[in-house]
Amino acid sequence: MAGTSIVEDIELIIEDIGGGGGKNPPPGGDDGDEGGRRRGPQVPSSRRYATAIVIAIVSIVMFFMAMASAFIYTRANSNRWVPLHLPSVIWVNTAILLLSSGAMELSRRRLALADVRQFRKLWFVATALGILFLAGQLVAWRQFVLAGFYVSTNQASSFFYIFTGLHGLHLLGGICALLYVSFRKFEKAKVSRSVAAEVASYYWHFMDGLWVFLLALLYLGK
Amino acid sequence: MVTYDSGCTGAPEAPPPGFLARTLFNSGHKAIGLRYLWLALGSVLLGMLLSLLMRIHSVWPGVQIPFLSGFGSTPERYTALTMFHGSLMVFLVLTTAPQAGFGNYFLPLQIGAREMAFPLMNLISFWATVASLVGMTAAFFVQPDAGLTLWTASVALFCFAALLTAFNFTVTTLDLRAKGMTLPRMPLTVWAWFINAILSMLIFSILLAACVFLLSDRLLASQFFSPLAFLSRQPASLVQSTMLSLWQRLFWFFAQAEVYVAMLPCFGIVSHLLSTFSRKPVWAERAAVLALCSVGLFGFCVWGQHMFSSGLNPWSPLVFSLLASSLGLPACVLLCSWFGTLWNAKIQLNTAMLFALGFVSLFLAGGVSGLFLVRNDLAAASISDEFVTGHFHLVMGVAATFAILGALFFWFPKIFARHLNETLGKLHFWLTFAGVYCVFMPMHWLGLIAHSHVSSSDAAVAALGPSPLISISASPSASLRAFVTVATILTIAAQVLFLLNFIWSLWRGEKTEGRNPWRSTTLEWRVPSPPPIENFGVREPVVYRGAYEFAAAGVVEDFAPQDVAPAPSARASQMKQAAEASTKEN
Repeated sequence: MAGTSIVEDIELIIEDIGGGGGKNPPPGGDDGDEGGRRRGPQVPSSRRYATAIVIAIVSIVMFFMAMASAFIYTRANSNRWVPLHLPSVIWVNTAILLLSSGAMELSRRRLALADVRQFRKLWFVATALGILFLAGQLVAWRQFVLAGFYVSTNQASSFFYIFTGLHGLHLLGGICALLYVSFRKFEKAKVSRSVAAEVASYYWHFMDGLWVFLLALLYLGK
Repeated sequence: MVTYDSGCTGAPEAPPPGFLARTLFNSGHKAIGLRYLWLALGSVLLGMLLSLLMRIHSVWPGVQIPFLSGFGSTPERYTALTMFHGSLMVFLVLTTAPQAGFGNYFLPLQIGAREMAFPLMNLISFWATVASLVGMTAAFFVQPDAGLTLWTASVALFCFAALLTAFNFTVTTLDLRAKGMTLPRMPLTVWAWFINAILSMLIFSILLAACVFLLSDRLLASQFFSPLAFLSRQPASLVQSTMLSLWQRLFWFFAQAEVYVAMLPCFGIVSHLLSTFSRKPVWAERAAVLALCSVGLFGFCVWGQHMFSSGLNPWSPLVFSLLASSLGLPACVLLCSWFGTLWNAKIQLNTAMLFALGFVSLFLAGGVSGLFLVRNDLAAASISDEFVTGHFHLVMGVAATFAILGALFFWFPKIFARHLNETLGKLHFWLTFAGVYCVFMPMHWLGLIAHSHVSSSDAAVAALGPSPLISISASPSASLRAFVTVATILTIAAQVLFLLNFIWSLWRGEKTEGRNPWRSTTLEWRVPSPPPIENFGVREPVVYRGAYEFAAAGVVEDFAPQDVAPAPSARASQMKQAAEASTKEN
């Protein structure tokens, strides 16, 4: 069952993350500083954002799993299922999205070598490919409409539009995150560039994997 | 806009916030928590009035109430009334008050943090909740068809808000705990909020998906649930078996777990109150934490319990029945923990404690009738009859309300620096306690009477539709139903006592002496009342102890706050013992 395993996963994550807890605190009171330590200039923990993105991903997984299970259920029980012919441009789009993920990893490697110029260039490439993917999805919609398939045509086309539409919406959020990493001046920000890039890349790769999953579902379940 | 910047201690003071920043756009966790509580208070009053209307309409259909008789006078209006009552109570009261209300206010304080992890997100979530309340209210007044679309959109918005809140709670608990606040040292309230946040994040995603499907069906004419053009040409049995079953699955996957979303924080609060006012540690604390976790886990696996009669695979009711019965295990562990805490304790019987004990009583009474409902053969015939209504109102609605009231009496001194009046509070407690039993216990009985009628009469009566009870209103159950209605009126009238007490105490209540009137151990009692904006000031608390160290060794009083270091002598003796142990090993 989908829900059960996810809860277990989360519990594993919890065990892994010490939070503010961890080991016992050093014994206080010796230096007259009883019951408290002075709050220094606290750097917001980068772990907070990594934790946050993992949790957000779990939640989004649950959202799309509900939709996927509805698809599988309808496919199995419907007696008026009309097979779906996916628009051809969708395969090109998929390749573009995979390339975008690759470009992002290359760019993060550059960042690890402190090569911010190359990082920016490659990051732009990744972002541009992401935008290209979205445009390609619109072209796919156009092809689908020209072929005479609308949202209300049949069950399969309803699922096609809702899957691509909601994935596109989530991807749009990802593009905003990529643009933020591109244009933010990190000298003044609370997060460092590498943390922001890391968190954005988790989400981006997840969007990539999610798209492959949805496409496989639509293709195999047609 | 006030946004939290944890790195600004050395920076110059920000200018004092303007009016809007202090009110509408205040993203402080205490301000938001308090506003959620006000929202829940307004919703619960409205919801109670609606239930009053429903009872009156169902028992005395001819009666004319000035201004209000239009609501619920026709079957469609009556259905809308029920739906509005349910949405208000489940979403805006039971989901919101214990988690988003008290949780937002006290989670950062109890874990020693200064703010929630994402204050702006918290603010967005609050206003989305308000918007969904407005949407649900508007949906009640417009035409049924448009109203349903509006209602679905409002629920989707509420899901979104609940997801943001749950997300915030999870990250805050994982990442912002004070030094030394290890997982085993977290108070049970924090545990409950945390587990509940994870559970809500998973199930509200599913309801959101279902709402998106439904909205898309209604607005874009997609074909997920019930393409009407198709349905009109098909035999009814086919429609029943495929289309509606999908919605039922998605909805009940959410809705059964939603019961535990409402209850989990209440479990935490009740454990906390029982321990504090028994002056004893929570009995078997680890087992209680594990029970909370398993309530969350099992809550996921029981959605089929509501679908015994909707064409499932014949084996699955058996499985779901077993799974649903297994929820009794964590419930028993929690009950044992509560009774173990109370055992041989010097109980302080104030109003907060009374409400916590009332919760235990209601939970037990409502839970026992749940044992009948998990039996697939018994429950199959009882969809939406009064037995079920009595059961879930007792165990979920009223019990959770008691926990919320207990929490309010407990934390009121911290939030407003004044006490609620104890005499009025106890009077209110006893009237409500007797009242809810008089309302909901006879409902179980009514359900059983209806069963005996339905099973003895012919199929024609059962075919009348969802409520064959109307046809047998002349039976003895009519007087019982009138009794329930009178009891409802009296119970709701008793709530005036609470409102008076609440409003009077806000301005005239007895002022609290000191920071810690209940002599409690957790961190929120270590700051002044009401807590300052930055909670702990420049000194960040360090935690040295578990959350329930009452009557601990080596302390002068009968409790040890979590941030008090062990006395040097005690520590020395501990170190000495450790040294002895290590020499022995050698």
